[in-house]
Amino acid sequence: MFITDIRKDFYEVVANQRVALLVAADIDALCACKILQVLFHCDQVQYTLVPVTGWQDLSTAFLEHKEQFRYFVLINCGANVDLLEMLQPDDDSVFFICDTHRPVDVVNVYNDSQIKLLIKQDDDLGVPSYDDIFQDDDEGEEGDSGNESEEGSEPSGKRRRFDEGAVERRIERRRAKRDWEARRREILFDYEQYEYHGTSASVMLFELAWVLTKDTKDMLWWAVIGLTDQWVHDKITHMKYVTDIATMQRHVSRHNHRNEDEENSLSIDCMRISFEYDLRLTLYQHWSLYESICNSVYTSCNFKLWTLNGQKKLQEFLADMGLPLKQVRQKFHSMDMSIKENLRDVIEESSNKYGMKDIRIQTFGVHFGFKNRFLASDMVHATTALLESTEKDESASDNFIKALDSLSRSNLDRLHSGIDLAKKKLMAIQQTVASCICTNLIVSQGPFLYCYLMEGTPDVKLFSKPLALTLLCKYLLKAFVQSTRNKRCKLLPLIMAAPKDVEKGSVIVVGIPPESETSDKKNFFGRAFEKAAESTSSRTLHDNFDTSIITLKTEDRSKFLDALITLLS
Amino acid sequence: MVQSGHHVTVGDVALSSYVSLVRSCTLQRGKKQTGRTELGLKYWKNKVIEPNKAAMDPSEVEFLAEKEMVKIIPNFSLDKIYLIGGDLGPFNPGLPVDVPVWLALNLKQRQKCRIVPPAWMDVEKLEEMRELERKEDTFTPVPSPYYMELTKVLLNYASDNIPKADEIRTLVKDIWDTRIAKLRLSADSFISQLEAHAKLDNLTLMEINTIRAFLLDSLNCMYKLRSNLQPGSSKKQFTDY
Repeated sequence: MFITDIRKDFYEVVANQRVALLVAADIDALCACKILQVLFHCDQVQYTLVPVTGWQDLSTAFLEHKEQFRYFVLINCGANVDLLEMLQPDDDSVFFICDTHRPVDVVNVYNDSQIKLLIKQDDDLGVPSYDDIFQDDDEGEEGDSGNESEEGSEPSGKRRRFDEGAVERRIERRRAKRDWEARRREILFDYEQYEYHGTSASVMLFELAWVLTKDTKDMLWWAVIGLTDQWVHDKITHMKYVTDIATMQRHVSRHNHRNEDEENSLSIDCMRISFEYDLRLTLYQHWSLYESICNSVYTSCNFKLWTLNGQKKLQEFLADMGLPLKQVRQKFHSMDMSIKENLRDVIEESSNKYGMKDIRIQTFGVHFGFKNRFLASDMVHATTALLESTEKDESASDNFIKALDSLSRSNLDRLHSGIDLAKKKLMAIQQTVASCICTNLIVSQGPFLYCYLMEGTPDVKLFSKPLALTLLCKYLLKAFVQSTRNKRCKLLPLIMAAPKDVEKGSVIVVGIPPESETSDKKNFFGRAFEKAAESTSSRTLHDNFDTSIITLKTEDRSKFLDALITLLS
Repeated sequence: MVQSGHHVTVGDVALSSYVSLVRSCTLQRGKKQTGRTELGLKYWKNKVIEPNKAAMDPSEVEFLAEKEMVKIIPNFSLDKIYLIGGDLGPFNPGLPVDVPVWLALNLKQRQKCRIVPPAWMDVEKLEEMRELERKEDTFTPVPSPYYMELTKVLLNYASDNIPKADEIRTLVKDIWDTRIAKLRLSADSFISQLEAHAKLDNLTLMEINTIRAFLLDSLNCMYKLRSNLQPGSSKKQFTDY
């Protein structure tokens, strides 16, 4: 059921109890977890934090902890599957789910006792109404026929008449039931066909903190990072992003208004969040401008930097803005102040000439101490790189804890190491995109495009992780749409496969919806993958919380693909 | 150190027992250090003090500094709590109350109060003190016997409640530098001229602590050198420094 009063129905219930926090492995979940942790610290609530990377992890964690905990809080996992059936909990376990995955499973919506959804009821849901899906009176038929047989002990003439009437009614009822069931199947199919994302979990939990008047700038910043993560990884539409940014902007101005004063200005160490209409160049303040332009998806796709022509256009662009090459290749901090001052406006003007109308995006930046300035997208990239770092001897939960730490202000060196890892990842993505496009690795299979990363590809280890592979996939699709001349191919979705574990012989497969200006980011590959796997009995693992990311055995790849082609055409 | 495994909620008697447990630890530690906190640069007669045990750790001095009282404005309500060190409260939202610094910091971190900077933590007052310190040759009276630790701790955790925090930090550091320079000069002349007395009014524990190890160590060396000069009279009576 949906929770209406988050303070009374959630926070005050768990505040005196021990809680198990099961958190998924994405940045929005990390930020939400951080906010909740601080709230728990303030009120000294005992909790156990368990990072989970998939459904199997979730089940194992639940089994381990179900004896000790009654209340479980699930962040960014659990809403889109029938949780009670999967976990088989005892009757007194209560689950609070704060998840962005949609559609929310209907059983989770209509269960009143054990599942509480920390989701706003109008959050773009379209849940089918109860009567369309559930019918309680299955016993009606049996009772009726029982009565009739009793009444039938009357004179036989009447009984025959009664029997006929009863049989007709029964046939009528059965037909109605079949119709109802067919309609129900249709409704559920429509409802569950597309997968998409709703409001960020960290924004939901920030609003909880606000309602408790315990919100701080740190929490606000984490909520902003969670929202930006949804945008960077292309999970929400642009409209939704802008709307949510406006909401966050209200909170930011409320916080700024509270503290700033002419005479009593704040210490430089205090955190200041500011609204920025900043450039879409990834990590440009921590890199050189040139590198940032080369490695940001927006600019590199618009210039087509994998071609020679594209390189020339980039030089023209820089010359048009009057930026000397030497300056532009230097670290951003060391650029001349005169250039840095009007940089954003100068770049916007020139990029309009080159067809890049949206080079600027609304976002937030944070500023504390004398030299620490970060944009929200910088933090997202740094933390994602830490979360999915492929160093040896690091388990998934180690990476989770490191990424979680990097979000605190006191762990700046970890954040900087995250930024370095993010730079390497972005460069690897750009090179892979360039090589895929130049060697025509993307093949059109009819209803979709397909690309397979061979095992020997440089940095292919980076792409064995779901978030990195999804990012690569999106960049590749954008680049492909820019570079191809085939009009039909531009509207196709993309499926990408990369080796996940060479020893076990598995590949990770990701499907993303087609690229378009007004895309609603609804992904149908979850169901498609399931059906294809069933029909060919391929050995697949649908472990990820995003149903459009699966693991597959390398040998089954071709038959799985064939099944998909037949399914989708 | 006490393990905070207790389930503590404000508005619960459990808080006072947790708090009293911590306080009792504090008192114990305080007791152990009393011998060394005395202002005297006591030089035990037949005993040589090992240099590494002579000084306190600065974090220990900070711990003692947290006993000082500071005013806070809580946003919760709680009845009076009775602790070993004294009574605290009652707490009412919006009304100022005096609490020890350790409790103020804990409440601030849990967002349950707002800290009011002490009266001396003000730009003009500190500027005057700094000028006075620079003029005088001896040590001038300090704003608080733990001014350095309190500044550090309050400005780290509660800088959003203290206006002009950066200037205050600079001013306090200036005062500290001047005083330490004077202390160094005085210690230097004390050792080199073999003086028997030194006037150490208005020194704070933190300042003494910075010079303690060095001074005792050097006096120890001087003693050894002097005792070697006269090999025959090992039982000579030495003046107490």
